[in-house]
Amino acid sequence: MQRIADTLSHELFAFDRPETRGHRWHVHLVELFLVVYAAWFCWDWGFYIQRNITEVLLPLGIAQYIDISFLFDHHLAVANAALVTLFGALGFFRVWRPAYAIVFALFHLQYTARYSLGEISHGSNLVGMGMLALALTVLFFSEESHRRRFTMGFLYFFIGLGYTSAAVCKLVATGITWPHGQHLLLWIAERKVDVLSKFGAFDPNLLQEMILANYHWGTAVLVFGLVAEGVSFLMWWRRYRYYIVMLVVSMHFGILFTMNIFFAASTYLLILLGLPWPIIINAAYEWAETGSASPSGKLRRAT
Amino acid sequence: MNLYQRSIRIIGGVFVVYALLVATHLGEFWPFSIYPMFSQAGNPWTRAVVREMPADMERVSSWDAVPFQDLPGAAYPLTPRGINTNDVANYVSKAETWTPQRQRGLRSLFTKSQDLDRPLLVMRVRGALNSDSVSVHATPVMLVTRDTLDLHPDLAPSTVATSDGS
Repeated sequence: MQRIADTLSHELFAFDRPETRGHRWHVHLVELFLVVYAAWFCWDWGFYIQRNITEVLLPLGIAQYIDISFLFDHHLAVANAALVTLFGALGFFRVWRPAYAIVFALFHLQYTARYSLGEISHGSNLVGMGMLALALTVLFFSEESHRRRFTMGFLYFFIGLGYTSAAVCKLVATGITWPHGQHLLLWIAERKVDVLSKFGAFDPNLLQEMILANYHWGTAVLVFGLVAEGVSFLMWWRRYRYYIVMLVVSMHFGILFTMNIFFAASTYLLILLGLPWPIIINAAYEWAETGSASPSGKLRRAT
Repeated sequence: MNLYQRSIRIIGGVFVVYALLVATHLGEFWPFSIYPMFSQAGNPWTRAVVREMPADMERVSSWDAVPFQDLPGAAYPLTPRGINTNDVANYVSKAETWTPQRQRGLRSLFTKSQDLDRPLLVMRVRGALNSDSVSVHATPVMLVTRDTLDLHPDLAPSTVATSDGS
């Protein structure tokens, strides 16, 4: 067990590996993305709460222990979004170490107020885990290079765990027949109702038409999705990381094209984590400084 | 304790908290989740649509279910009005007892920050697999006018809405 933990720890955090400018900029970008998206979620939800919500139908998270309805009026949810933005800025510029922890707590409050009507949305979970990573890293590490390594390792660990957990849930709840194409027919019909409800019209795309005409295409799509989720934990290992993360990204595009559901924040974050940005940034630096770039030469050092 | 040991202990600590919270809160304690969306394949689903009805309508003439292609009235797209369709679907699928508070809650989705030009008919839509096809029917749940509210007299609880917001 200890050996597994040691191996996993080295694969995830790689504190001993040299850190390039590309790595530093990459983690800065991830951090900026998380802070900006957390604020955006909170503003979006804040206005929605103020405009539409008056009661708690299904309490989630901390709302099971406190009455979250105090955020429904007097523009308190909007004020909460302003606080998230303020503390996010304090955290990003390292003005006050607990700032990200406060962002995380306020973000949780805003989520439980927004989704008090019964929908359990997973669109913001990865950003929430990212904020938790930032909160912990600033509290537990003092050197910036250590914080950067820990943040990325934490994200890869819990993102891989989450997607694999989703695959396990499908196999437990439905069994090995989960990818049967007829199930996708049912979900496409459901999404048709949702899209009509949202926009007043629904036009199936080419992939949806193929699946509706022959559900075996649906079986192929669902098998791909289940496998992509099932192997997601392999992103814990550096050698597989970029391939697995991009496999999950392609699964998200599959969900978009078959069911018109786009997990925007999760997909963008995965693209930010799943492409070799340190190599690209290093190559850009080299090109700017010397007039030529050799990205392949940087590959080993950057990863 | 070196950096690796410290990091793996923090990860382990978060993992334990994660596991405890999802185990004791039906799999969800944001941002922790077991991610069960779309795990129950093949089950019937319940969603909602809202239809805009003639201006003089005050009562629903028939509460019977209709095929989805025969919906009454005109489309009332929710997104341009800043209303999330999942919230409406959750009201019509999860409310087991239509208390006055629940009625006000659903009504407020449409009226808290805007006035109604025409009555709105909220319909519960159910879909189920029938051999190789999907049957979809819609049942009126509530007619919301500017001043009145006409509720289905005997609406049985429904299945849980399943769609996952993004």
